[in-house]
Amino acid sequence: MLMNMNLQFFSHHKGGGSTANGRDSAGRRLGTKAADGSTVTGGSILYRQRGTHIYPGLNVGRGGDDTLFAKVAGVVKFERLGRDKRQVSVYPVAEEAAK
Amino acid sequence: MIHATFHHGTNRINSFQITGHADSGEYGQDIVCAAVSVLAISTVNGLQRIAQIPVEVENRDQAGGFLEVRLPPELGATAELKGQTLLQSFEDGLRDVATNYADFVKFVEVKD
Repeated sequence: MLMNMNLQFFSHHKGGGSTANGRDSAGRRLGTKAADGSTVTGGSILYRQRGTHIYPGLNVGRGGDDTLFAKVAGVVKFERLGRDKRQVSVYPVAEEAAK
Repeated sequence: MIHATFHHGTNRINSFQITGHADSGEYGQDIVCAAVSVLAISTVNGLQRIAQIPVEVENRDQAGGFLEVRLPPELGATAELKGQTLLQSFEDGLRDVATNYADFVKFVEVKD
């Protein structure tokens, strides 16, 4: 089997090597959606996350994608949970005033 | 880096294999690649056209960067002489290229 006299036979592809990389998914905009001390209505999303980076506290629910949301209207509080964890709670305004 | 391996039998070169890319320059300006390519390809064609040897040639022409040539174990005296002369000349030339461009070519001899 004769070979074609290609002087660049042992060179990379034409114009340099190609790469199989170069793709990325769009950012998921995770993180805090309601600041500490802000007032929210019931059902408001407080924190978007993957896994429980922050745990649900008082009056806070956790959605199927671990999103934390307020169950009642009130003031948002980010608190410590045990030694090294954090939680977010919502204190209804009256209860907040009594605190 | 191009890796060139020559397989030696008893007073005979049985086969050679060349893999890799020189990467000594852009496509079209890679002089080390050109040197190795012309030595290798002219040897492959010479073995077939001049020495009339039915060599086994495996090469990945599209991607380039892989060439293996094997001689039949038994040859007539004339074909054997011509074939070995071409191969030894090729080996000698490639050894020189590897000596002068060690960053881009690695040369190895192996006993079969």
